[in-house]
Amino acid sequence: MGETVEANERIVCAILAEQVAALRERMDGTAAFDLLWRTSALLSWLSGLLGDVSAHSTYSTHANPVLERERAEAITEIAEIKRALDDLAFLQAQRQDFAKQIADCVVTALERMAVAEMPPGTSFSSADLAALYVSADQRKLHEDVLRRISPA
Amino acid sequence: MPTILVLDDSATMVMSLSHILKGAGYDVETGMNGREGITKLTDGIKPSVILTDLNMPELDGIGFIKEARKISSTRFTPIIVLTTESGGRKRDEARAAGASGWLTKPAEPNQLLSVVKQLCPTR
Repeated sequence: MGETVEANERIVCAILAEQVAALRERMDGTAAFDLLWRTSALLSWLSGLLGDVSAHSTYSTHANPVLERERAEAITEIAEIKRALDDLAFLQAQRQDFAKQIADCVVTALERMAVAEMPPGTSFSSADLAALYVSADQRKLHEDVLRRISPA
Repeated sequence: MPTILVLDDSATMVMSLSHILKGAGYDVETGMNGREGITKLTDGIKPSVILTDLNMPELDGIGFIKEARKISSTRFTPIIVLTTESGGRKRDEARAAGASGWLTKPAEPNQLLSVVKQLCPTR
């Protein structure tokens, strides 16, 4: 009876490992990041172009002060949006990287728990799990859960 | 233009770091693990600063730093660790291996650039 339960648990772990691995593959934000960076590069180009147009118009006898003010405002706005896009892309890239690392950790743990050759009665301990962590955040979460579920 | 060597096993992180550093006026060389980083160095790349992750396959960040410190051209090159690890033990381990500094992810782009510019100003 015990062996059947253990075998079933191993099957569940193996399936869960595959499910989480599939979920990890869907965390691909490459297309979104690529679009953010291209937009950022385009904004740089536009800003430079506006600067060139302005430099050219100063030699013209038809320089328009209203257009000149609007050009300056546009360059300031473009610079702010570009900085915000760069910040967003960088932070999102790091968050995605972190999420993938957590998913990798869960997959590895589940795969180890699913190993059929494990001697009966042996288990994958919370310390074994903690050895897979790659960040202090994961360790803190681990400690919080242990505190919450440990008998007082 | 000064060169920055970026090592991270996340392609998105490598692209993101490259974008930010190139935008600030640096040349960027990249690798997906410590082994690729060592190959770049032995191939003759002479970075002004190295940014490396810790958890990478084949050769991790600590292993890379130890190997890089054995290469004469990078014995004194600043190596900044950029990682999700923020624990003191890992930090001590990296420092003992030869790391010059530490940035914990998520880091702000300005934070990253200020560290890099301090170590290697662009003209």
